[in-house]
Amino acid sequence: MTDVQQSRNAAGAMTADTAFRVRMRRLFGVLQGMASNPATVIGLVIIALMLIMAIFAPWLLEPNSPDPYQMPRDWGAVRKPPGTPGHPLGTTNEGGDVLYGVIWGSRTSLQLSLMVVGSTMIVGTIVGSIAGLVGGWVDEVLMRLVDVFLSIPELIFALAIAAVLGPSFGNIILALAVVLWVKYARIMRAQVLQIKQHDFVDAARVIGDSKLNIYLRDILPNAVTPVTVQATLDMGNVVLIGATLSFIGLSEAGIAEWGVLVSEGQAGIASGRWWASTFPGLMIFLWALAFNLVGDGLRDALDPRTEGR
Amino acid sequence: MQLRDYILRRLMVLPVLIIGVSIVVFTLTRIGGSPVGIYLSHEMTPDEVAEIEARFNLDKPVWVQYLYWVRGIAMGDFGWSGVAAAPVADVFPLKLAATMELAFASGLVALFLGIALGTYAGARRNRLPDHVTRIVAVSGASLPQFWFGILLLIIFWAHIGIAPIGRSDAAIFASIAHPTGLYTIDAILAGSPTALWDAIWHLVLPSVTLGYGATAIVARMMRSALVEELQQDYVDAARAKGLAERIVLKRHARRNALVPTVTVIGLTFGFLLQGTITVEIIYRWPGLGRWMADSVLRGDQATLMTYVLFTSVLFLVVNLIVDLVYANLDRRVTLGK
Repeated sequence: MTDVQQSRNAAGAMTADTAFRVRMRRLFGVLQGMASNPATVIGLVIIALMLIMAIFAPWLLEPNSPDPYQMPRDWGAVRKPPGTPGHPLGTTNEGGDVLYGVIWGSRTSLQLSLMVVGSTMIVGTIVGSIAGLVGGWVDEVLMRLVDVFLSIPELIFALAIAAVLGPSFGNIILALAVVLWVKYARIMRAQVLQIKQHDFVDAARVIGDSKLNIYLRDILPNAVTPVTVQATLDMGNVVLIGATLSFIGLSEAGIAEWGVLVSEGQAGIASGRWWASTFPGLMIFLWALAFNLVGDGLRDALDPRTEGR
Repeated sequence: MQLRDYILRRLMVLPVLIIGVSIVVFTLTRIGGSPVGIYLSHEMTPDEVAEIEARFNLDKPVWVQYLYWVRGIAMGDFGWSGVAAAPVADVFPLKLAATMELAFASGLVALFLGIALGTYAGARRNRLPDHVTRIVAVSGASLPQFWFGILLLIIFWAHIGIAPIGRSDAAIFASIAHPTGLYTIDAILAGSPTALWDAIWHLVLPSVTLGYGATAIVARMMRSALVEELQQDYVDAARAKGLAERIVLKRHARRNALVPTVTVIGLTFGFLLQGTITVEIIYRWPGLGRWMADSVLRGDQATLMTYVLFTSVLFLVVNLIVDLVYANLDRRVTLGK
């Protein structure tokens, strides 16, 4: 090993270590900032409760049918009000237990949001990075595609895709994934272009780091922040749009999903049966609210300029 | 970049985006297979099927079919709506008028309420009204509109029994002429207070349902813009002159804070447009949104394609206008790259 290589490696190890420490300190600052905001703490508590409910659903309410995501039907107890023994939140017109739908619906929503946010984040990050790094006509083509996708209002676009694919919950997931990746692509491209101009990227280039290395070690970690904020907001947003599509009728009828349940309960409100729509809808609201509060808190904590605004 | 160049560039990009959207819409509907199915029945022979395919140009390559579709649109032929049992072009204006009336009413609610709330909160930064407004704003963005609408119906329609459903009382609606298709305007033109009251009464709950979320967007933007303006030197100067706080707020700070608030009108418009779908379903409003929802469930592709294309073009144009107005209002805005 030559002297130059040796000293370069040493310098690399030192910067990596310092960078790690700086990043940890920053992360701690962000967590502190979030904890000092009561709205964010409320959001975190709601999310924690939702996750506990989703994870422990089989223990909270044991499924008695082969497919636990299908609403069990108790035809002997239709249209029961809340407080009925065995059905604390009442039942629907078709004898579905509202509490069962509320609890298992949290699992459905968790699956939906994790799958959509996970896939769109990965695809969007890759596309945005390629556009920002390669530049030229590749960037031009990819970004015009992103512009076209952003021209169609989200819900309407997802509705059209889900309609063409046919009514099923799986197709709602697919439709949302097709619609939402563009946001990440745009954020990521802007980040790459901005970070590329910094001196430390030039420095890495001068000492001969490979492009991939520069991207993975210098650019990607610095672009994580806005992507994380967007992903947090999307965790709530996705459930809101997904439930809207289900409500319109693009899921299978009878699955344990909050939007489907609100739709099923709608038929009973004229006769005063308010509970079948109210409770599942409240869950959608709380879910979206929690992630919006945390997303906002995260953004404020990451960006000191917006403090107190 | 000069303002003129910026406008030209934006105007040049617009057709490209519209063509892009039309290709996406067309491709999308073809994923589900050839639309020939809606013309077929079980008794048809293969020859008859081929004849129908030839008549609607479905035997040609896909890109030729796309050009036929675009040519049809250029000539005002948007296809046949199975749901409405009529040509799309015939039904569209009537449904559009109903939807626009609802969207405008909701937009007015949002604009007035949003600016008032935002001003109130921004002037009382970090005090109780500010926190309450923040909760209203965040909850507005998280509230499922279809659920909010149902809650209002449970209370005001099913429980108290004062709110109506639908767009009008059929007898009153039939009693006046409808030259514009906008019920409120038609009622004023006909000079009928009964019809006007009927129109407004039916609009209240749907526009509150739709307007709440948009109010949140406007209030939020107004508040942060006002907070920013109140920290500027000219506000201190106005106060130092001895002007009353109320005048400093209303004549100076609020006026400037309205400029950035203009930008959210585009965002609000998209929000309202999408929201009409569920709100129209819940309140049985005979507009575009409910027609789209029915079309989606019954495979009415002509309506679906027209609706997606139309809303996207409208969305693009409104955003373009908002950007241009904003660029014109505030010359400090950096344009383009």
